[in-house]
Amino acid sequence: MTSGAIHHMGSPMNTRKYDYGFILPAVIFVAIMTQVPFLLTIIYSFLRWNLSRPDIPRTFAGFDNYAYFLKIDTLKHLPEFYSILWQTFFITGTTLILCSVGGFLLAVLLDHDIPGINIARTLMLGPFFVMSTASGVIWKTTIFNTTFGWYGVIMKSLGFTPVDLVSYHPLAVIIVLFTWQWMPFFILVLLAGLQGIPNDLIDSMKIDGVNWFQGIFGIKLPLIMTHMRVAIMLGLVFIIKEFGLILVTTAGGPGTRSYTLPYAVYMQIFSANNVGRAGALATMTVLLTLVLVNLIYRSIVKRNTQYM
Amino acid sequence: MQDNYIQRKKRGMRVRRLVGKLILTLIIYTIALFYFSPILYMFLSGFKTEQQAVMPSFFFKPTLATYKKVLGDPTMYQYLRNSLLQVLVGTGASLLFGVPAAFALVFGKLKKKDSAGKFYLWFITTILLPPVAVLIPLFTLYQKLQLINTPFGVMLAYIGFHIPIVVWMVYSFFSDLPIEIFEAAGLDGCTKVQQMVKIAIPLARTGIISAGLLVAVFIWNEFFLGFNLTGNPTATLPVYMSRFREQQGMFVAQLSASSTIAVLPAIILGWMSQKALVKGLTGGAVKG
Repeated sequence: MTSGAIHHMGSPMNTRKYDYGFILPAVIFVAIMTQVPFLLTIIYSFLRWNLSRPDIPRTFAGFDNYAYFLKIDTLKHLPEFYSILWQTFFITGTTLILCSVGGFLLAVLLDHDIPGINIARTLMLGPFFVMSTASGVIWKTTIFNTTFGWYGVIMKSLGFTPVDLVSYHPLAVIIVLFTWQWMPFFILVLLAGLQGIPNDLIDSMKIDGVNWFQGIFGIKLPLIMTHMRVAIMLGLVFIIKEFGLILVTTAGGPGTRSYTLPYAVYMQIFSANNVGRAGALATMTVLLTLVLVNLIYRSIVKRNTQYM
Repeated sequence: MQDNYIQRKKRGMRVRRLVGKLILTLIIYTIALFYFSPILYMFLSGFKTEQQAVMPSFFFKPTLATYKKVLGDPTMYQYLRNSLLQVLVGTGASLLFGVPAAFALVFGKLKKKDSAGKFYLWFITTILLPPVAVLIPLFTLYQKLQLINTPFGVMLAYIGFHIPIVVWMVYSFFSDLPIEIFEAAGLDGCTKVQQMVKIAIPLARTGIISAGLLVAVFIWNEFFLGFNLTGNPTATLPVYMSRFREQQGMFVAQLSASSTIAVLPAIILGWMSQKALVKGLTGGAVKG
């Protein structure tokens, strides 16, 4: 941004034309494909509109679609929405905590200068690029399966009876798979942070006789906190919208026990055919994401200004 | 005596340090290999027959029969072709729209000083928008416009969602270029288009290529929109993979071979693009 400002001052001869021609095609394309549909989603959320009932006219419904999900009649029977909201928070939050802690420890480990360290780093990064539907079916078939998978075979050889993890612990299965896929991303970002720590700082740490534990958690971790927040922010955005992995492993089940918000939107439109309710749910999902991201982003900006 | 003692002690320390490093190396490799093992096992199981694949094992007599069977299946080709079409056109168009925008945001002249910053922030915000926000209107409108289940319909959505990623990544690569070159070129009568095509793009080409690779990986792996906006003849590989979900442990070898074909290109492209990923993240977001 500063470079742009310098450029303006540096070229007084070139005052005739603005360069919107370079930007506007991209802006218009992106607006039509993302912003306009989102506005339509918000409009739909105020309509009574069921795709399976074309005989009923589309009418304005006010906040009825929102009330359907949010309205609490008795505290004993909370609407399903609240358990779906909790499941979304639980899956996303637990995954992010596991990714932050595990990602940091592994990044510290991979920050060592050993022969062929790049091979180890590359192997660890692999799962991040695996499409979620493939990782879902692969884990489900070759690992979690009670008869043919590694889990089943190892449990039986140890004398235990393997249980069907996908049905009995659906949330844990989803969290393990999300963590497996996203921890490499955290390692990538945090490792970049660790390698950006100036060498003389590490040298003076050694001279001062700082012990290993203090060095890692007292000095290095605070120094890469901005990287940590960026990883958490982007991780949050991508994990909260994940859909394919849930579809292929638990399909939201048993019942609705592993539904997340995007999965519930999908079910509202393709199973219940209810455009209005799906719109309300989608709008709330987006608002929730933006609020959470905004909170983390603010903490990054605040921290950066503190350090300047 | 004294010298000997010190030498011995030094050697002892060196040996201890070497042993420590060896143990550390072993630990790191064991963890890395363990972490990667589901992918490795998938890759290996593709070389098994179905009978061999029933019992999990890492050691077996490899065969190409399963790969031959999978690659001989015309439906697999169809999914592969659909995915390639989306990736090639989608990535190309995202770069075509995104690179000039990033160029003008860094070096262009806009009405107000802070306009570039505002546009940049707007693109970033778009990255945060989850696809559920757009699925419903795209689904209903595509039905009316006869775009549902066509390759073109989902492609438009992919381009719209990946232009902001190109802008975000390429912006940080362009910001590294010295502004003086462009000033000099401007004084020499070089137009903005020439400055971009002849100077900026060649200088930032590794960054642009890596950003393109990353977008290619994202489109290759995209499932939510692909699953809901395409039909059987136009579906992509992630949709194909999702069809294996009901098999309950059957056809492990076939599943492994198919997913290797679906997963390996993305892993390789991803490994090649990791520099852009780090740079885009740390350059764009960490420095604010």
